[in-house]
Amino acid sequence: MPVPVPPRHGGIAPCPGQIPMLAGVGLRPRHYADVLADPGQIAWVEVHPENYLCAGGPQHHYLTQVRERMPLSFHGVGLSLGGEERPDAAHLQRLRALAARYQPGLFSEHLAWSSHGGHYLNDLLPLPYTRENLARMIDHVGETQEALGRRILIENPSLYLAFEASEMPETAFLAELAARSGCGLLLDLNNVYVSCMNAGTDPLAYLASFPRAAVMEIHLAGHAPEFDRDGLPVLIDAHDRPVADPVWRLFARMVEHLPPVPVLIEWDSDLPDWPILLAEARRAQSIVDRVHERGGGRDVA
Amino acid sequence: MNRRTAGLAIAGSLLSALALSAAPAAAEGTEKCYGISLAGQNDCASAGGNSCAGTSKIDYDKAAWKLVPAGSCATTMVTLPDGSTRAGSLEPIGS
Amino acid sequence: MTSPDSLNSEAGFARALWDARLPRPAGVIGRAGRPAADRFDIHRNNIFASLTAALRARFPVVVRLVGEAFFADMAAIFIRRHPPVSPVIMEYGGAFAAFLKEFDAVGALPYLADIARLEWLRHLAAHGADAVPADLSPLARLAPSAMAELRFTLHPTATALSSAYPVASIWRANAVAPDLQPVLADSAGESVLIVRPHRQVLLLDLPPAGDVLIAALQEGRTLGDAAALAAARDLDFDLTLTLAALFRGGAITGFAPGHSSSN
Repeated sequence: MPVPVPPRHGGIAPCPGQIPMLAGVGLRPRHYADVLADPGQIAWVEVHPENYLCAGGPQHHYLTQVRERMPLSFHGVGLSLGGEERPDAAHLQRLRALAARYQPGLFSEHLAWSSHGGHYLNDLLPLPYTRENLARMIDHVGETQEALGRRILIENPSLYLAFEASEMPETAFLAELAARSGCGLLLDLNNVYVSCMNAGTDPLAYLASFPRAAVMEIHLAGHAPEFDRDGLPVLIDAHDRPVADPVWRLFARMVEHLPPVPVLIEWDSDLPDWPILLAEARRAQSIVDRVHERGGGRDVA
Repeated sequence: MNRRTAGLAIAGSLLSALALSAAPAAAEGTEKCYGISLAGQNDCASAGGNSCAGTSKIDYDKAAWKLVPAGSCATTMVTLPDGSTRAGSLEPIGS
Repeated sequence: MTSPDSLNSEAGFARALWDARLPRPAGVIGRAGRPAADRFDIHRNNIFASLTAALRARFPVVVRLVGEAFFADMAAIFIRRHPPVSPVIMEYGGAFAAFLKEFDAVGALPYLADIARLEWLRHLAAHGADAVPADLSPLARLAPSAMAELRFTLHPTATALSSAYPVASIWRANAVAPDLQPVLADSAGESVLIVRPHRQVLLLDLPPAGDVLIAALQEGRTLGDAAALAAARDLDFDLTLTLAALFRGGAITGFAPGHSSSN
């Protein structure tokens, strides 16, 4: 006779939901058991909510247990907020219900589009930084924040190409977006590095113009050095290896110029064993701790 | 078979089925939720979900369409709708 | 101004992503202002590689049956014909079995579509609603005359699949057996029960017309009526084995004595 196991349901979250100003990791199913075996090892985790938009099953079983032990952040990939079409109302409602259940401390999305004409392209696609696109994205972010009943964060993308039609730099686009929609920003330093290398521009110049006051989370990840068809180097935002040294250096500099914010290690492909992922998070934490011991990073505008 | 006989047959089946089910069914093979598990056991959705990462291997020039399935179908015998039985490698279709 | 369909429009961008025969959009810039239309291919690659990976994870036995390379090319054709309509990739692939049925290049593998159906149903069961299997011990204490009037509530993930091909044997040989068995004789069709009573998806063999009984129970018919329907489909219908599969699989989440007082 099967042993009845009561399903865990409802928005039970005895653990506080607020994301601490510490290092966390992106949580993938492969590491559920590791996190649950010793939850004290990591301060918080982040998941893609789209991977939990199902009625039941193991993902919910494990994520519920994880959430009972630590704060959780949602990092959405499916809303296509930079697109021409309005965010899908049904999808928003599903996200809202999922957030009601898991009470995520932060909810982020991307400066990108991925849906067009009723089809979902499953990639974070770039858009020209025009006034028209800015106005539209402000509307989409506003609509999303209203539907979810909360502030969201928007992440700067990894770019492989740019548009002749762009009318402003990405940092100006993000600054306006944050100022006029009220959203926060998720600063992905690997994306900054990837985009700047691919465009032949200076990441430090990019960061100097980044609207730092709106930053509420930092992402770090590994990228893959590849070559384009002309044999020229191109970096791919693959999340399949450790964070690269130049990205660590960007992080150390940014920590000095930002108030404390949560930082997250993303690793999505060729997943490592848990200790390796944990070591990446600890490295991020040690950089933050070192800066703050010196008294940096707290009161800088 | 009248209604009563049918009812008794059903009762007999039900009781036998209960006796047969003393041990619940187990998953096939060594299903493990974490890490590598056997093919087909996607219970943990360890792959094939949403991600915000790109793909590191760029396939600029996709190879031509490979017409011949070359998997383990070669070891599965089937009878085709025309009644013939076949196994092994398949001829390219339309080449 | 750009025309609605050209360079920087989302529609033109999306169309060129799906269809590699179309020229890449102009107006895109690569490194240090160089025109870099080839960079566009990175996005094409991301889309097809990620969706192919999702299909590969969802249909591992189909992959094994046709081989990785063939599967990848076939997936590219499927993805163009049936792009995802939802941003939830977990929901992608429901059209794959029907696609395989019509796809000429796998015409010599007539069972392939049913293998894909089986894998899709396993996937649905993996993510379907949770429910607790019922304690069935009280059934043994019912009056025998009441048993035919029972109505069962089936687990929300329970599905029966009936195929003209030995789908369960083929699936097991490729998914579970550590070494591939050389030949599966072309035997009769098979029916299976797919259910996820706890965390793992189970696959249980059903006797002929077992799927008919399950469908009838799911419609809310009494055990007696459902058994009669199954027996009408197949004279050798085995109620005991069908019920044993349901019971062993934890596929019953509730039962109620019939309110029928007609006898």
